[in-house]
Amino acid sequence: MVFVIDDDASFLKSLSRLLCAVGYTVRAFQSAGEFLEQISPEISGCVVADLQMPGMDGLKLQQALAKTVNPLPIIFLTGQGDIPSTVSAMRSGAEDFLTKRAPKEDLLAAIGRALERDKTERIKRSHLHDLRRRLDVLSERELEVLSHVVRGKMNKEIAADLNINERTVKLHRTNITRKLKVHSVAELTSFAAEAGLFKA
Amino acid sequence: MIFSEARDLPGNVLMEQATKQDMLTHSTNGIEFFTESLDASRFHNPGYSAVFADYIRNKYSSQKLDLVMMFMSRNFALARDMSTALPTNIPSVCVVLNDMEVPSSAGRPFTGIFQRSDIGGTFKFIFRLQPETRQVVVIGGVSDNDQTTLARIAEMARTVDGVKFEFWTNAPVDEQCRDAQALTAGTVILLASVQRDSAGQPFYTSQVAQMLAPVAGVPVYVLGEGSIGTGALGGSVVNFEGLGVHAARLALLALNGAPLDRVPIEVRTNGTPMVDWRALQRWDIGESRLPVGCIVRYRPYSLWEEHRTLIMIVTTGLVVQAITIVALLVQRRWHIRAQAQIERQRTELTHVSRVSTVGQLASALTHELNQPLGAILRNAEAAELFLQCNPPNLDEVRAILTDIRRDDKRAGNVIDRMRALYQRRSLALGPLDLCELVHDTIALTRTDAAARQVKVIAETPPQLPVIQGDRVHLQQVLLNLVLNGMDAMTAVPKMARLLIIRASQTKNGNLQVTVTDRGNGIAPEDAARIFEPFYTTKLNGMGMGLAISQTIIEAHGGDIWVESKGTEGATFTFVLPQAGQARVKDGDLPDDI
Repeated sequence: MVFVIDDDASFLKSLSRLLCAVGYTVRAFQSAGEFLEQISPEISGCVVADLQMPGMDGLKLQQALAKTVNPLPIIFLTGQGDIPSTVSAMRSGAEDFLTKRAPKEDLLAAIGRALERDKTERIKRSHLHDLRRRLDVLSERELEVLSHVVRGKMNKEIAADLNINERTVKLHRTNITRKLKVHSVAELTSFAAEAGLFKA
Repeated sequence: MIFSEARDLPGNVLMEQATKQDMLTHSTNGIEFFTESLDASRFHNPGYSAVFADYIRNKYSSQKLDLVMMFMSRNFALARDMSTALPTNIPSVCVVLNDMEVPSSAGRPFTGIFQRSDIGGTFKFIFRLQPETRQVVVIGGVSDNDQTTLARIAEMARTVDGVKFEFWTNAPVDEQCRDAQALTAGTVILLASVQRDSAGQPFYTSQVAQMLAPVAGVPVYVLGEGSIGTGALGGSVVNFEGLGVHAARLALLALNGAPLDRVPIEVRTNGTPMVDWRALQRWDIGESRLPVGCIVRYRPYSLWEEHRTLIMIVTTGLVVQAITIVALLVQRRWHIRAQAQIERQRTELTHVSRVSTVGQLASALTHELNQPLGAILRNAEAAELFLQCNPPNLDEVRAILTDIRRDDKRAGNVIDRMRALYQRRSLALGPLDLCELVHDTIALTRTDAAARQVKVIAETPPQLPVIQGDRVHLQQVLLNLVLNGMDAMTAVPKMARLLIIRASQTKNGNLQVTVTDRGNGIAPEDAARIFEPFYTTKLNGMGMGLAISQTIIEAHGGDIWVESKGTEGATFTFVLPQAGQARVKDGDLPDDI
């Protein structure tokens, strides 16, 4: 799904028409606000937006979108590219920055890249989400023990640190590996790293 | 004038000069002076004074003398010896410099002054200059006079506590000088009077001072002015000039016939504090210790004291010269700076006139053109794809072609507008709807407004009478006012940036357009001049926009003005007469519009 946003109705229509003809599913919006209201969290795709729009302009839209649960990649179009906004847009992760009369190939390539990126990031996000959900089943104490385990501590040390019986530590570790469906300490550590647990 | 001692003694010289000068100044008669000197200290053979008296008698027997003045620092008896040599009816004035008792009247018409040493004053002077003094060595001779002075010093010394006085009188001057070398700090020497030392050698006290002061291990204080300059430090000394003047007054009194036996003999014990500057330096005594009125002798004149006037004239000259030079330099720098500023402004002006006229709208127009051109491109690309379909989607292609034509027209309009704006031309009047003009202008500045985040509102009535006007020129005016309004709000918070354009008909049927911004307003002094050419409040402004606007509006027979309510923004208003009232002829406008 490609979301096209431009306040110029004629250009909006022509671009949507082209992208439809190429074979994309296209939804067109005349303002950024309208788009943000209607976008749903699950929907995948990318955004092609005019940089200069009255009200919420392209850069504002980018900021707003980044805060949602569905940060779609953005390609900016502009009547004339000026360096400061280009730099700003690219720095905040815009997929590409094209003039309105850029060659079709460039535009389509950018859209292709954006969709690809959306797909991989979506997978990454869902994997992370999955990991986080599995972690959710752990109890407070189990999380605490886990944090010690991934730092490479022995059961005896963990018991001393948490002021509990060594056998209890062992019990917690069994529960953790069972709940997370992992089989080794190495697997456990990489799991924690992927989930972004205990950084710092 | 008879001197008991050598005439060339410093004290005698001073007294003689002061006396003569004062008498000559205050007397209308020509006074003739004869001067004799007994030089009694150096010549004291028995019978010498009698021979001298004979000599005087013989010498002046043919002269009619009016007055005898005697200056003596020896025994007063000498005066009596002399008086026997002269006719008894001659009045005489005596100046006696010693500490002996005043004799009773000798039965002849004379008066005089007995000048005593200022011993008390000199004590004070010593302890003021050297408060650390614990011992005073008093050096004196053995003559009657010397003894009298020493006795007075001894008497005075008893009144001084905490200081030991030692009297050295029983040794020859040589020996005294040698002993004085050994004296150390805390001690001072007071040279009293040495007319004859214990070896019988006659002296002037100033001579002794000259021998003693340079070799003494401590400062030497003296009682007579004659000893100042010998190396002695100073003292409260007898002032010979003052004494001479005093004697002169008495003499004038006598010459005027006053009975001198009625004028009492005066005894003076006053002294004048006096120091030798070189001795002060030698003994390292600060000048701050000197009493008020103290005379400092032998101070080397500083350059300043010697050439004060010259230095002041030269200095003043230099200062005036320096000030002039600085002033000229400053003026020159102002001049250079002002020229540089003018040069810079001229460069800026050239630049701005090119950039602002073309560039101000260039970005807007680029965007305006890129929209339709971009749409055309995308539509064409889509059409290609639709034609490649099997079967080709001709309906879609047809719709696309319609859109392409519309966008092409749109682009053409933009170009027309742009060309019209930059063309030099005189007024071309035609029917004009101001509401349309307002909306067109808003469309033209839409991108600018978006970029500057200014909200632009148009308030136009549904219907306004059509006027006769030049569309392009009036659009330029309105455009200028709108862009100015936006410029005025750059410093205002984004939420408050609002520009209102109103078109309306006034009561008398004229048409009016106002542009109101929410900027910081226009200062009254700016408002008065804002329509002047090259007057601008903008950093990069050229000051032409409003001047041209005014020309255009006035060429239409209208009027333009500005109102500003303090800092609450400004409202520009222009009024145009209804159709048929314009007084315009072609060619009314300057070429550079």
